Amino acid sequence: MLLVITLTAAAIWIFPLYWAFVTSIRDESHVVSSDAGLLPDMLNLTAYSDALFNSNLLTWYVNSIGTSIIITVTVLITGMMCAYALSQMRFPGRRALYAVVLASFMIPTQALVVTQFVLMNDLGLVNTWAGIILPQLIVPVVIIVYKQFFDAVPKEMREAVLLDGGGEYTLLFKVYLPLNWGITTALAIITFIMAWNQFFWPFLVTTSENMMTIPVGITQVRDTFGVNYARVMAVALLGAAPVAIAYLIFQKKVTEAVMISSGVKG
Amino acid sequence: MTGVTLKCVDKDFGSTKIIDNVSMDIAQGEFAVFVGPSGCGKSTLLRMIAGLEETSAGAIEIEGRDVTQTEPAQRGVAMVFQSYALYPHLTVFENMAFSLRLARAPKQQITKQVNEAARILKIEEQLDKKPSKLSGGQRQRVAIGRAIVRQPKVFLFDEPLSNLDAELRVQMRLELSLLHKQLGSTMIYVTHDQVEAMTLADKIFVLRGGVVQQSGTPLALYDDPANQFVAGFIGSPAMNFLSATVSAVTTAGVVASIEGSDGQSLEAQLLDTTLEAGQKVTLGIRPEHMHICESGLSTTVEMTENLGGVAYLHARLMGGQKIVIERRGERQSHQDESISVWADPKHVLVFAQDGQRLR
Repeated sequence: MLLVITLTAAAIWIFPLYWAFVTSIRDESHVVSSDAGLLPDMLNLTAYSDALFNSNLLTWYVNSIGTSIIITVTVLITGMMCAYALSQMRFPGRRALYAVVLASFMIPTQALVVTQFVLMNDLGLVNTWAGIILPQLIVPVVIIVYKQFFDAVPKEMREAVLLDGGGEYTLLFKVYLPLNWGITTALAIITFIMAWNQFFWPFLVTTSENMMTIPVGITQVRDTFGVNYARVMAVALLGAAPVAIAYLIFQKKVTEAVMISSGVKG
Repeated sequence: MTGVTLKCVDKDFGSTKIIDNVSMDIAQGEFAVFVGPSGCGKSTLLRMIAGLEETSAGAIEIEGRDVTQTEPAQRGVAMVFQSYALYPHLTVFENMAFSLRLARAPKQQITKQVNEAARILKIEEQLDKKPSKLSGGQRQRVAIGRAIVRQPKVFLFDEPLSNLDAELRVQMRLELSLLHKQLGSTMIYVTHDQVEAMTLADKIFVLRGGVVQQSGTPLALYDDPANQFVAGFIGSPAMNFLSATVSAVTTAGVVASIEGSDGQSLEAQLLDTTLEAGQKVTLGIRPEHMHICESGLSTTVEMTENLGGVAYLHARLMGGQKIVIERRGERQSHQDESISVWADPKHVLVFAQDGQRLR
């Protein structure tokens, strides 16, 4: 019985993906016709060739990969260093600073969008990678998760390094970071996926097609006669493919990351 | 030459004094042991010597150099932690080479020093393994090896054997003793286990409430404790303490009647006393100095612990005070038997009501 329920749920979940794929390999005229069935009845790859060669898809790929990698690396480095300072160093205002980090976690990003847009505009960063990247570098959950893990490293480990002649950088990069490679990998994957899938902010800050990321670019896939569903689906599937492949490879780590960042596992 | 000198050292945590005006001299090459109950400040004192805790007042000198304000790594000390504190992501070799690599020592020198330490500790076979693949004893050796590689002036051990099982603890204790002889370095060892203190130390410092109660060789502390705390802490089973009242003062010492024992008394030798009849004192007698005799203090044996070579008779005096009697080669249980016990006056120690020893 449980198996039947699980299979039904899986079928319901996968249907939109299946439908997107079936639509993408159909002729556009057939997509909206009333006699279009559920099964794939043709293999027309025009939408894919159009998406790859007659759109800016490759440019969007480059933009998505570039911005996502920069966001991931920067978020991890800054988050890790901030968490290390909050966890291991003693300075006045440490607790207040951590409270600010926690508080920023509670502010919805949408609430800041207008301010951020005005700021980016004033700085002349609209339609630039910097404009896409900068507001996405604030990820307090990375700091909170790292701090939680750094807090758990035994105090003696720190003292052993100090006696061995190491300083704070040795501690962070030669001990605390290697000891937490697992969580670093998990956070890297989840940050990358979040950056890749980000739509709202890049949609606002980019108006030039050459600066768009894949999720934003999908909205530009239309021709003179309006929306071309087959091509839209082909671009959507091609856009999602790298993340889907990455997910399949790092499935275990992603699940771990989601559990850690949601507080299920610590 | 002095190895480590502490001059009027204090440690405060807020308004709480953890270490109170401690002064000590540890000679170069000496094996010193800080011993005392939990919370007595022994680990704090060790960490102050290491530089891991700031010193609130006073001065710490290592081989004549004032290191009170010196960074831990510059003090010439190496520490072995209770939890070993090995870097789990590094191999044994990398763990041992860590400090030398940080100091940018030449590769050849690193390999030579690590291999030499591994040879001394017989862990050559484990050099490529990660700490998680090692047993407790092997991890402890690696932790000691990591200290040896640094060639420190002073080795600091913070309860290093407390995570090991009893058998391994005895073995490691012997090995530490041999290692000290082999290296000839100054070593300071913290433990709450007085057996470890007695077997390892050249000099013991007994601490209580952040104050050194007494220091000296293990046997000096055992035979001639300065106060009731040291007398009770050193020795296993602990010294018997009997509340008594001075009934007579003689030229050789005092006669004291045991409380609640219907006038039964014990004699104690004292060289010089200001005691007077009627004063309350505490008599201290080690279990091995209590002898069964025809007439003496009447006791009833409540339980016997027979370890084969030695037996401990747990008995109760008439007034309810408990005593332990040690018997070599005892084969009778004496359970529920009434026996009389006696102690030679020269082995009966007298403590004033404030716990200080009267000699």
